[in-house]
Amino acid sequence: MEDLSLHILDIVENSINAAATFIRISIVEETVKDLFTVEIEDNGKGMTDAFLQKVLDPFCTTRTTRKIGLGLSLLAQSARETGGDIVVRSIVGKGTVVTADFRPSHIDMKPLGNIADTVTTLIAGNPRVDILLHCACDGMRYRLDTREIRSALEEVPINSSEVLSAIRNDLLEALQGFFDQRPRLRPPKETGNVPL
Amino acid sequence: MNLQEIVNRLSLDVKTPGLDLNREVTGGYVSDLLSDVMGNSSGGNIWITLQIHLNIVAVASLKGLAGIILVNNRRPDEDTLKRAVAENIPVMTSALPTFELVGRLYALGLRCR
Repeated sequence: MEDLSLHILDIVENSINAAATFIRISIVEETVKDLFTVEIEDNGKGMTDAFLQKVLDPFCTTRTTRKIGLGLSLLAQSARETGGDIVVRSIVGKGTVVTADFRPSHIDMKPLGNIADTVTTLIAGNPRVDILLHCACDGMRYRLDTREIRSALEEVPINSSEVLSAIRNDLLEALQGFFDQRPRLRPPKETGNVPL
Repeated sequence: MNLQEIVNRLSLDVKTPGLDLNREVTGGYVSDLLSDVMGNSSGGNIWITLQIHLNIVAVASLKGLAGIILVNNRRPDEDTLKRAVAENIPVMTSALPTFELVGRLYALGLRCR
């Protein structure tokens, strides 16, 4: 996965395959804590404790077409490569919450990628699933809730091209400069001047 | 080219005991980005990487790779190696950095295909 938006797409696909009808995607950065958190919560069928124990194992999957499922394993790897970690909580019949913490100053931190396209793709492909996107970075906040859009639209389908295009534009505009997508590497504090 | 021959010629350290190394290596692929390997490697390739996470075994198994060579003497944990044995994916290590190792594989006649 080249960026976090691809991880998010992958984890949300898991939620949809688990028959979720509502998915909350939360992307929160706290620069003073050097913490970037991606959380995906769904109301899908959930997992048993036994399955939860081995859910980060790439050889564990609900797929029947092949025996390997990489979505959560790759997200866990990406988070841990930055010094972060992943927590998966689940209750059968209630849903699942995946929380991945990253250290954005780490050299192996992946860029966030294109969240506007990711979320628009998810809405387009899953018009019956409601999605709440919540983004926060320090003082800034952004919220997109398809339940609100749906009620405002009345008869117009949420996956009509005009609505999708409006959603995408709103996302692009709102998230421009929201998260700092530049490389955030900070020079090591102790090193001082390195002779060239 | 045969994997056992590559192991001998490059003095690779085989970390997965008991696996048959008499298998054809069709070519090589180098990447540390797992999704790139998923997308662009071919079955029968030898994969050169510095990643040691268990996910490498999953990717190699999915793609039907001939084996994995870890560079710079990177050591995978026991769990990764046990899984590699169970999945019939030979894992070898080399003290060489990637550039040197791949140069030697290329000199042996291996190509990206």
